[in-house]
Amino acid sequence: MNPAISITGLRREFGRTIAVRDLTFDLPTGGVIGLVGPNGSGKSTLIRMLLGLIRPTSGTAAVLGHSIKDRVVPSIGALVESPSFIPNLSAHRNLLSLAHLGGFPSSRVDEVLRIVGLHGRERDAVRKYSLGMKQRLGIAAALLPNPQLLILDEPTNGLDPAGIVEIRSLLERLATEGRTIVVSSHLLSEIETICDHIVVVRFGELIFAGPLADLVARTSPHVEMRPEHQADIEKLAVALRSNGFSVVTASNSLQVTNPPDSPAQLNQLAHEAGVSLAAIVSVQPSLEEIFLSMTGDNESELAAQRAGQQVEVTK
Amino acid sequence: MIRVFRSELVRLVRPRLLLGWFGLITVFTVMANFIMFSVATGSTQAPTGPGVSFPTAAELASPSGVVAGMSAAASMFGVVTLAFWAIAAGVDFQSGLIRLLASTERRRWKLLAGKATALAAVTAVATTVAIMVTTVVAPVAAKSSGVSTTLWGTDSSVMLSGWANSFLSMLVWGSIGLAITVVLRSSALAISIGIGWVLVVESIVGLALDNPSWLPGSTMQSIAAGGNSAAEFSTAIGIGAVYIIIAMAFATVVMQRRDITD
Repeated sequence: MNPAISITGLRREFGRTIAVRDLTFDLPTGGVIGLVGPNGSGKSTLIRMLLGLIRPTSGTAAVLGHSIKDRVVPSIGALVESPSFIPNLSAHRNLLSLAHLGGFPSSRVDEVLRIVGLHGRERDAVRKYSLGMKQRLGIAAALLPNPQLLILDEPTNGLDPAGIVEIRSLLERLATEGRTIVVSSHLLSEIETICDHIVVVRFGELIFAGPLADLVARTSPHVEMRPEHQADIEKLAVALRSNGFSVVTASNSLQVTNPPDSPAQLNQLAHEAGVSLAAIVSVQPSLEEIFLSMTGDNESELAAQRAGQQVEVTK
Repeated sequence: MIRVFRSELVRLVRPRLLLGWFGLITVFTVMANFIMFSVATGSTQAPTGPGVSFPTAAELASPSGVVAGMSAAASMFGVVTLAFWAIAAGVDFQSGLIRLLASTERRRWKLLAGKATALAAVTAVATTVAIMVTTVVAPVAAKSSGVSTTLWGTDSSVMLSGWANSFLSMLVWGSIGLAITVVLRSSALAISIGIGWVLVVESIVGLALDNPSWLPGSTMQSIAAGGNSAAEFSTAIGIGAVYIIIAMAFATVVMQRRDITD
C-alpha cells in the first residue's frame, strides 16, 4: 500500500534556526499516527509544509501521492494549531463558507456538525463556544472534504480532561472509518492511548518513526521491589549490586533497571539476604519515560537551538 | 474563483459589519449634502486642499447637482471603503483563518481575487445605498439652501454615472486598503495608513508638489466627480487603474510567496 505521507530530505530554515532538519520517513495509510516532540521541535513547521502553508528550504514530500508543491491536493483535512473562525458568525455559517471554498456540498456542513456532536448548537456564534467546542468545530472543518487523511496539530491543546477524552473518542471513531489520522501532540499519554504508529522529532531531527510497539519493544522493563521493612532497602540494594544488577533506591522501594529474564532470581537474592518482600513487579516504561530518554529534557539545549547554535544531538 | 467569491460572501454578510459600513456611508452622504449646499449658497468659505472641490450653486442647480453630494463625499467614502476592505481582509490574518483558507485553496491568488470580487460586490451595494440616500437628502438640502431643483431629473443618465463614478472611486480605495492589509497583515495599520494619507500626507505632498493630479486622493476625487479641474475623467480613470493594478499585483505576489505562519 502506498504511504499516506512520504518525506524525503525535508528541511526548513528560518534565518539561522533550522526548524526541520533533513527529515526522511514514510507514514503508512490507515490508523492514527502520533507526531510527538517537545515544544519547538518542528512539529508545526512540518505540518505547515505538508499543507503547503510554508515552503521547504530543501527536500520533497508527497501527501496521498501528490507532491506538496502541487496546487491541488485532494482529500486532506487539517486543523493547524488553534481552530480559527470568524467569532461573530455562527458555526454553521463559518463551515458553510469553508464548504463553498472547497467546493463541497452545503449538506456536508450538517453532516460534519453531527459527527463532532455540535448539532443543535450550530446557529450559535462561535464566540459563545467553549474551547472544547471550538476544537470540535475545528475538527468539523477538517472533516468537510470527507478526507482520507486528517492532519491535526495539537487537537487537545488547552482542553480539560473531559474535553481530552471527548476528542480522543472522536479520533478513535474517525480512525475506524478507514481514515489516516496524523495527530501532533506533546501530551504523550494521549498519543500512547490512541496511536499505533509514532514519529518522534527533536530540534527538527527525526528520532524515531515506526510502530509504537517497536518503540516500546526497544526498551526493557524494570523491576520494582518493595521490602516489607523500609530499613531493609539498603541491605537489599547491596545484595543486588554485588550480583551485578543496577539499582536505583527510593524511599520505600528500589528499582532494578537491568532485571534478569525472570524476577524469581531477584526474589531468591532477596531471600538469601534475609529481606522479606512486600511486592515485586515488572514495570514497562511509559511512553513519557521512553520519550524523555530519547529526547532529553535539557532546556539549555533548546535555548541554544533557538539561538541558532549548532547542538550535537545524541540519538 | 466563483467558489472563493461565494465563500467570502458568506463571511462578509454579517449584520454588524454591513450595518457599520452602510451606516457610515449614509452618515457621510447626509453630511456631505448638507455641507455642500450650505457652502455653495452661504457666506462660508469653501474648504480647499488636494482633491477637495466644492460645486457652485449654479452647478448644484444643474441636472447633475442631485449627485454632487456623492462626489463631494468621495474622500470620506474612500476612507470608509478602505477601512472595511482592510477589516474584511485583516480578520483572516488576525484570527488565523488564513491557515484554513490557504490549505483548502492552495492557489492563493484565487483567494485574493475572490475576496476582492466579493468586496467589490458589497461596495456596489454600499454605493447604491449612498445614491438612494442622496436621492432623498439632496432635495431637502437644496430646498433648505434655496437651490433650484427644477433641472434635476431631466437627464436620466445622471444617477447611473453618479453611481458608477462613486463606485469606481471606492474600488480604487478598497483595493489599496486590501493590498496594504495583505502586505502588513493588519487591518489597523492599513486603516491608519489610509486615514493618515488622506488627512495628512497627501496634503503635505500636494503642497510640496503643487497639487499634482496623480495623487491618490486627488485621483479618486476626480473619478468620483466624473472629472474635475484637477484631472479629466479619462485621465483619472487611467491613473486609478494603475493604482489598482500596482496594489493588487504587489498583494498577489506577497500572498502567493509568503509563508503562512499566522
